[in-house]
Amino acid sequence: MIRAGSRLWSRGAAARALATSAGRLGLTEAPVPSPHVVDAASQAEKPPLVTPSAPVLRDCCLAIPSHRTAVQAWVESLRHYEDRHVGLADLHPDVFAVMPRVDILHTVAVWQRNYKRISYAKVKTRAEVRGGGKKPWAQKGSGRARHGSIRSPLWRGGGIIHGPRGPTSYYYMLPMKVRVLGLKVALTTKLMQDNLHIVDGLDMPTCDPQYLADLARYRHWGQSVLIVDVNKMPENIMKATASLKTITLVPALGLNVHSILKHETLVLTLDTVAFLEEKLLWHDSRYTALHPFRLPYSDFP
Amino acid sequence: MAAAVASAGLRRRPGGVWGAVARRLLQVTAPQSQSRDKPETRHPQYPGIVESTEEYKFVERLIPPTRIPAPPKHAQYPTPSGWRAPSDTPPALPYFVRRSRMHNVPVYKDITSGNRRMTVIRKIEGDIWALEEEVKEFLTQLAGKPPPIQVNEITGSIRIKGYFDNELKEWLLNKGF
Repeated sequence: MIRAGSRLWSRGAAARALATSAGRLGLTEAPVPSPHVVDAASQAEKPPLVTPSAPVLRDCCLAIPSHRTAVQAWVESLRHYEDRHVGLADLHPDVFAVMPRVDILHTVAVWQRNYKRISYAKVKTRAEVRGGGKKPWAQKGSGRARHGSIRSPLWRGGGIIHGPRGPTSYYYMLPMKVRVLGLKVALTTKLMQDNLHIVDGLDMPTCDPQYLADLARYRHWGQSVLIVDVNKMPENIMKATASLKTITLVPALGLNVHSILKHETLVLTLDTVAFLEEKLLWHDSRYTALHPFRLPYSDFP
Repeated sequence: MAAAVASAGLRRRPGGVWGAVARRLLQVTAPQSQSRDKPETRHPQYPGIVESTEEYKFVERLIPPTRIPAPPKHAQYPTPSGWRAPSDTPPALPYFVRRSRMHNVPVYKDITSGNRRMTVIRKIEGDIWALEEEVKEFLTQLAGKPPPIQVNEITGSIRIKGYFDNELKEWLLNKGF
């Protein structure tokens, strides 16, 4: 407990610099971690704690409408398991504070599940079942029911009337703007439910997967973590997440509603936030497509 | 490319009619290939292939933009088309009605089954019920009786029975939205 106290005291400079913002947000000190987690961390090798000289403050590059203000989130770091308040990031309200449309989340999640689906089920009709061309017995005189073929649907081994016919595709496309709104709503829900964490970079001191797992447990990130980055990811985090089952590393282009909902926590880097804001906000003020977007436009984002 | 085609043709059908034609083609294309390889033997009349990127600006200006530009500042409002800009500071009301992507007031007409006329106000943020109260009061003055109104909080829209789009647009513009 005393060791934890001294560590918090040494980070007092950064804490004081952020005091005004913290006071504005009405946040209190970070909760003291439970004893068994502290002991596990202290017993392992402690990498040197690098306190940055100034807090990392990120402003929204794109214009915010005059009637709204930016939403804020702490910027954390993966360099040390205690680096939880490296800075403060301003997030655009039209991406991270939209109306929580759960119906749109459902629509997009169902679309993601079904548009790739091809069901290969196929059963034979009476015409396709082998045999059954000949009338089994004469129409009259035998005393049995009248039948025309041994493969009619009434018979055992006969054809199926309204069964699944051939590979069926369940492909359909939702409008682009609906899918974009789905991403915005997913990001908003993660932020508002305290499951979104912003990280200044994915630089890790070790490539040990246990370090990342312990960090996620210490910071109460949840059962599963989705880490998103735009640029080339550092070797350490790629090696660490390769062997972990619950922590996934994904490029920003692979971000989708299903993955966001599947993982409990979402961790974005500052570059990813800028990338997502630019791409998602472009849809709010773009013309309808004159020709497909894969063909050249003068100011495509 | 013409030289390559001509030589391929020669290889496929040696001699005969094709030989003479190919020889003539090669003679025509020879100066070009010669000028590309050896500048000293360049023919004065056929300068060879010159690459120029100066004309690409004519292509570039035809490629369309994607973003809708912000409207310029006009000297006088309403503009000749009747458009009015939103006020620079948002009005001090508990709700806000955003402009559409083409910078117009989001009030639309709707009709179902040929005779059910409705007006929709979209893109409402903030306290939608306060706006609903004010709309009810405004339209009761206009129409004499309060028209049926449906509020959809989730989508931020209000649906009113009857066509009131011009009046509501004017009313919202006067509020500063």
